[in-house]
Amino acid sequence: MAEEFTRMEALTVIDSVFPNDPVIVNVGAAIREMAAAVGVKPNHLHILDSMGLPPAIGLGLAMGLAESRFEKIVTVEGDGGMLMGFSILSTIGMLRPEKLVLVIIDNGTYGSTGNQPTASEHTDFAAVARACGMEARDVAGADELRVALTEAKSLRAPIMIRARVSTKTAKTPYFLKDPVVLADTFRRYISAGSA
Amino acid sequence: MAEPDERSRAIIEGIESIDPRYVLHLPSSTLVEIINHMLDRPNTITFPIPREEEGVGILAGLELAGAKAVAIIQDNGIGNLLTALTTFPMAYHIPQFYVVSRRGGLNEYNSMIHIICEKVEDILDAADVRYFSLDGRTPIDQWAPTVQKAYDYSRVTHRPVMLLVNLMGG
Repeated sequence: MAEEFTRMEALTVIDSVFPNDPVIVNVGAAIREMAAAVGVKPNHLHILDSMGLPPAIGLGLAMGLAESRFEKIVTVEGDGGMLMGFSILSTIGMLRPEKLVLVIIDNGTYGSTGNQPTASEHTDFAAVARACGMEARDVAGADELRVALTEAKSLRAPIMIRARVSTKTAKTPYFLKDPVVLADTFRRYISAGSA
Repeated sequence: MAEPDERSRAIIEGIESIDPRYVLHLPSSTLVEIINHMLDRPNTITFPIPREEEGVGILAGLELAGAKAVAIIQDNGIGNLLTALTTFPMAYHIPQFYVVSRRGGLNEYNSMIHIICEKVEDILDAADVRYFSLDGRTPIDQWAPTVQKAYDYSRVTHRPVMLLVNLMGG
């Protein structure tokens, strides 16, 4: 049941399926929970305060790393961030980066700011993604998410996976890393794997 | 004074010297010669972006992946990208390069676009965004080298750099 599946569990599943591929982690609580769950990893790019931007960053990365050894480029976004603009889905559908996996962790709220409801309950994210030319899955629970992510590995097309989670937010400390260090660490990791 | 098409050719020459793998562009009547040239350029993937901030994210991803890219936009869209620009590539020290067409000056034909365009330099200054300018005060033979130098400056200083180009004759 979605009520029993938390964002932190979803993030843990993502890391377990893609332990070494680049993963873009979206703002606020998701970053803190990912760091608490699996640590601050060099293959994770933490987007501290650019809500709505991760899908575009992931698109650029997936295009630039099309010939790299990385299997997939995973981008995590929340329902609130995705609702900031669907236009990026059209751009993804137009450019069709085969390695892009866009995971929308949908708790139906702006979870980092006090769980105010978003419009996600009224929005079929997967249908929007399909209409824009992407593959799409709608999942609930850790097992379904793991299956969808694993299937995405063999897919030669961009895919959106919408994972419904509960509104539970884990108690975690502030994430206060220097963004310059975060970018440099990630860039070095990417560079080592690009050849 | 150089004619606008001569200026566009100089910008094209400058971008050619950068030799980008990717060119992102917004729609712009003043940039049409440059955009069309890039669309026809072999071995360069030129594609439209619907909003400026989307370009900020895509450029950043390409840069992190080691891919060479240039964005071509118009200055009346600067307001769209400031939050994305300041919270991500500027904060993370990710180089980016934008060729930005100036509007709202001499030879302008739109009755309202000047309201934001005349303030673009003030806006960029307030946001601490580095930019250089090319207009009628710059000899045309300096335009193409300046494009390359402005691009190089973004790499040297690890940040987004914009080149404001007046293609309308001002």
